[in-house]
Amino acid sequence: MKVQNWILTALIFFFTLSSATAQSNSGDFMRSMGKMYVVVAVIVAVFMGIVLFLVFLDRRLTKIENQIKDHG
Amino acid sequence: MNMFRQTLRLLWRDWVLEWRSSYALSGIILYVIATVVLVYSALLNIGPQLWNAIFWVILLFAAVSAIVKSFVQESQHRQLYYYSLVDPLALLAAKMIYNTLLLFGLSLLIWGMLALLTGNPVKETGLFVLAVFLGSMGLAIAFTFVSAISAKAQNSATLLAVLGFPIIVPILLTLVKIGANALGFIQDTSITGDLLILMAINLTLLSVAILLYPFLWRD
Amino acid sequence: MDRLIKKNWWKALGVLILLYVFVMGMLVPLKPGITQVTPSATRTNSQIVLDVQGYNTHFDEAKDTMRIWIKMDDEYILAATRITVKGPTQVEAAFEIPAYLPSDRRVQDFALVIDNHIDGAAVRPNALLVTQDSIDLAMGQTVWRSDRMENLHQLKGITFPFRNILGETIRNTYFHVSLWLAMMIIFTAAMVYSIKYLRKQERRFDHWAAALTTVGLLLGGLGLLTGAIWAEYTWGKFWSWDIKQFTTLIALLIYFAYFVLRRSFPDEAQQARISAVYNIFAFVALIPLIYVLPRLTDSLHPGNGGNPAFGSEDLDSTMRMVFYPAVIGWTLLSCWIASLLYRTAVIEEHLWDEEPTHD
Repeated sequence: MKVQNWILTALIFFFTLSSATAQSNSGDFMRSMGKMYVVVAVIVAVFMGIVLFLVFLDRRLTKIENQIKDHG
Repeated sequence: MNMFRQTLRLLWRDWVLEWRSSYALSGIILYVIATVVLVYSALLNIGPQLWNAIFWVILLFAAVSAIVKSFVQESQHRQLYYYSLVDPLALLAAKMIYNTLLLFGLSLLIWGMLALLTGNPVKETGLFVLAVFLGSMGLAIAFTFVSAISAKAQNSATLLAVLGFPIIVPILLTLVKIGANALGFIQDTSITGDLLILMAINLTLLSVAILLYPFLWRD
Repeated sequence: MDRLIKKNWWKALGVLILLYVFVMGMLVPLKPGITQVTPSATRTNSQIVLDVQGYNTHFDEAKDTMRIWIKMDDEYILAATRITVKGPTQVEAAFEIPAYLPSDRRVQDFALVIDNHIDGAAVRPNALLVTQDSIDLAMGQTVWRSDRMENLHQLKGITFPFRNILGETIRNTYFHVSLWLAMMIIFTAAMVYSIKYLRKQERRFDHWAAALTTVGLLLGGLGLLTGAIWAEYTWGKFWSWDIKQFTTLIALLIYFAYFVLRRSFPDEAQQARISAVYNIFAFVALIPLIYVLPRLTDSLHPGNGGNPAFGSEDLDSTMRMVFYPAVIGWTLLSCWIASLLYRTAVIEEHLWDEEPTHD
């Protein structure tokens, strides 16, 4: 999977998430249930950070693979 | 030749070089004058708070353009030749002392120019001179060392800014605070603490620079 | 470290610890608390009915043991004369405020305390402001001393403390604060490897320093992002030039500069040596920031500028049981990620050694 596809997937994911929250007046939604959704948002952000790192490592390994292919 | 005498001789050599190629120094002085005049004609009425900010900003950029050439102006070969003659630490010390004095002179020039055009808002002259001196020293130490790093790479002028700015943030923040006190629009009793912190930062950066420089110069 | 890379136990340990942190961090309930008390002000010599909103409370089930007080300190206390439970999280308490307050101030603030056998005791500081028309300290003190607050119930089971602005977001301690600490540990480790490189001049130490710094940047970026989200819903602003935000920002700038520097050397040995020098110098330059900034402004973070510190009240023993493992877990996970980067760098180095003409 190319990097562009990864980024596109991440963007679509974020837009779905933000539109889902926007439907019921984002601020109120985030503050409902004792601001529980702030915790959810934080965990989602950390998860996305780790995914972003995986994309970065994926790219680097692909480069190495191509180099080995060229070599052999 | 012991280290002290080496340092003094290198210091003298830096001074002679500066005068021989006087376009560099006059360029910086021109920059200072132009900036001060521009700021004055744009604002006309400068309050102490703005004066404080403008003073340190002009000094910061003057420091960058003055120090960027410290290690670049000589070719790699000539530097290797120096290192075979003198202690590398003497070279670093000479550059740092030279840059400290240069920055101190420049800041006095900025102060004088601003005072000439807008009046002198500094209430505690002694404190301000001390802050200016410690600030010149801190900026000189940090930027001299970073310019020694960036001189090893291509495109060293940009690199100096990128590498240097985050490092001098603590010094600048403390300077702005002491400046605010010296200008009298903030009353703070912990000003001795700030001066001590500034000195501690200078000493720390200096000792780390001395420890690390042996790894930097040889190539 | 190089021998540990091939071992899997510490990676599994890190994941298990994080699993424990996630389960505990999400599932342990908050202690019952008071979110709102209306009205919030009254005068002396009057009757007042306070409407109290609870959070995680069971007022209806604990109707018989409900007791409510307002208190100035441990000595001067006034009990409610009538308590009407309206629902599991709503109760009305009537007070008869005496003519004089046990204070020589015109306006005095009082905390509200609720106690029952299910929820235990819950306190809301600064719940009620009382204005007195005339001051008589001696009279006030005798009247307010008659009520006692005794035999408070202890809540059974483990809970996280309830803080009014934070609410459930107190759980972010494990997903944000611990990230920040792990970042500091990782950057310190990177600096240690830079020192090792300068002493031994072995290429693998430079790979470690670069790998750890990359992970540190990831942690720092996540720390800023999660902090901004948290700040928006507790302090009301994404970014407020707070000390810790500022320090992290400068740290990120420094380490971005580190990577800019690395890219500007064609020669590998020179790249490794000079970036190691910069890494150490920048790390040392970063330390004063932690001392300088608190002198300039108050922080919104706990432990600075009058905010309660994480040692005393905010981080109680239950939170410590999750917080310290969280720091260890994030650090171990970061080390795992860094070891992946390190191995990739070693493979890249071998490839380039075999094929020197390649870019």
